[in-house]
Amino acid sequence: MSQAATPRLIVIGENIHTTRVLQRKGPRIAVVDGAEVIKFTTGDGADRTLTVPESMKKTQDYEQGRIKHVKVAIDAAMAGGAEAALGIEYLRSMAAAQERTGAHFLDLNVDEIALKPDLQMAAMRWLVRTMEGLTTLPLSIDSSSVEIIRAGFEALSGKGARAMLNSASLERLEALDLAKAHNAAVVITSAGEKGMPDGPQQRVDHAARMVEAAEARGMARHDLYIDPLIFPVSVDTAFGPHSLDAIRELRRRFGPDVHITGGMSNVSFGIPNRKLINEVFLVLALEAGADSAIMDPVVNRPDALATLDRTAPAYKLAEDVILNRDRHCKNYLRAWRKGELKA
Amino acid sequence: MRTTTRTAIRTATRTPVDPMAELSDIKNEIVRREIEEFVTRPEEIVRNVALFTRAHERMQAIAAGIIEGDDELVDKLTRDALDADHEALEVMDDGLIAGMGVVGIKFRENFIFVPEVLACARAMKAGMNHIEPILSASGVDPIAKVIMGTVKGDLHDIGKNLCIMMLRGAGFEVVDLGVDTSPDAFIDAIEEHRAPIVGMSALLTTTMPNMGKTIEAFVDAGLRDQVLVMVGGAPVTQEFADDMGADGYGKDALACVALAKKLITEKRRNAPP
Repeated sequence: MSQAATPRLIVIGENIHTTRVLQRKGPRIAVVDGAEVIKFTTGDGADRTLTVPESMKKTQDYEQGRIKHVKVAIDAAMAGGAEAALGIEYLRSMAAAQERTGAHFLDLNVDEIALKPDLQMAAMRWLVRTMEGLTTLPLSIDSSSVEIIRAGFEALSGKGARAMLNSASLERLEALDLAKAHNAAVVITSAGEKGMPDGPQQRVDHAARMVEAAEARGMARHDLYIDPLIFPVSVDTAFGPHSLDAIRELRRRFGPDVHITGGMSNVSFGIPNRKLINEVFLVLALEAGADSAIMDPVVNRPDALATLDRTAPAYKLAEDVILNRDRHCKNYLRAWRKGELKA
Repeated sequence: MRTTTRTAIRTATRTPVDPMAELSDIKNEIVRREIEEFVTRPEEIVRNVALFTRAHERMQAIAAGIIEGDDELVDKLTRDALDADHEALEVMDDGLIAGMGVVGIKFRENFIFVPEVLACARAMKAGMNHIEPILSASGVDPIAKVIMGTVKGDLHDIGKNLCIMMLRGAGFEVVDLGVDTSPDAFIDAIEEHRAPIVGMSALLTTTMPNMGKTIEAFVDAGLRDQVLVMVGGAPVTQEFADDMGADGYGKDALACVALAKKLITEKRRNAPP
């Protein structure tokens, strides 16, 4: 059987997250008339800017050179002031960019908008209603709190595409009921009741129990997106094979209908040239049986995967890190310092 | 009481710092090159040059092994130094900890990355394996005991585990309460272990407020004055730490060690003799 050049990849675009940052020194930030602004281009190709508010300049992120740009846009739009329309345009352009680069779902996460649950829930309600008017893509409602997810689902008009819930796990089975009640697809993770999985076997066991729990509620297997939890290889290079082995076994056990996804960019935390590690990991994950990814399709272009040169030295170095063949990422980091990891 | 003994040993093993010391006076080539290349803040150059020009050449070699993350080398050099009758505290301070200081600076300035810092921490641990039994046999306590856990509702422990690894490497004794730690579990551990420091971590904005609730529970239990509370985790900031009344915030595992040292030093300085 010949392998298709572009394997199926259902992209859950993770760009509309209040955690997302831009570097202050980067090309997207400029100073116009003494004010620091975020540059963006609208769908019609018009250049616009969004002002970085004074309140953000007192934050630690800002002092360390980062700007939470999605938070700026949502805050501006929700406040309803002079920049509200720009905030909306910003979100529209983010949705469009992800749609253009191949996103199938738009993941929305507002956990870092504020610390108070009522503010987080209000922001999620607002964002869900707003995004329904800005995109035809299905929304993925994402939070570490079931209450925020619930608020998002309650805000859905019901007229748009079927939504996704991100995520349910053994520690919060009630999220499955919520997904069922709203006829939504659901990301089910391999988190256990009492902690994170410690190897491939626990990842498979926890996910298997979640599949059973979902099917017991009458949910269809093709609505389930298993996230085996991807951990950073910088911390332990054994983490690469942990995720990949779990993906392989989950595909074997549950057949072609279930989806297997994951927060693919977690894998590269703590090491340079994350884009390269992310791409190679995604290739290996798809080969192991994954068919979806929670990822930034604008930075890691799904269409670029097919043309990735798997014989390139940089590819091999990244692959060695991910497959636990490069202790402490030593060869990879040495090559990076010599400038040999440029794609 | 024991801290007094410890200070006495420390002072006795130290040669006075030469204020006129220069980089070129450092005999170990690796240490010299590392400081030259990676240490840029003037006060840190002065401190490191003073420290390494004073340190015995064996200690400089141990520090170089730490900086290079070579656990086998540090294991061997530490044994050799102790066999040659160097004090355990001299090896720890002038070799292991001095080397880790350079590692911390390189990490802060993005010259090295997480896997390399972990290799350095393992090298540190290889050395400490020889130092710890000697210190405890001679009645010198670990630097301090630290209780660590992720807060209630939070299962994410990678960052907390990195902190624990670095703390242990630096000579702290750590009681690991794991994940999803209730205020009561923290309180029970404080009472059982008599630890002067508690470290809490949270990765989620939705669990972060539980740090404040845990601190309130310490107040209610009448324990707040007995412990120093340090907090960390991706969404945590200095401002948030101040708001909820923590004693300190660390942005990563190395900052956590620096903070624990600072807190315990201040506590001992302020404690009645």
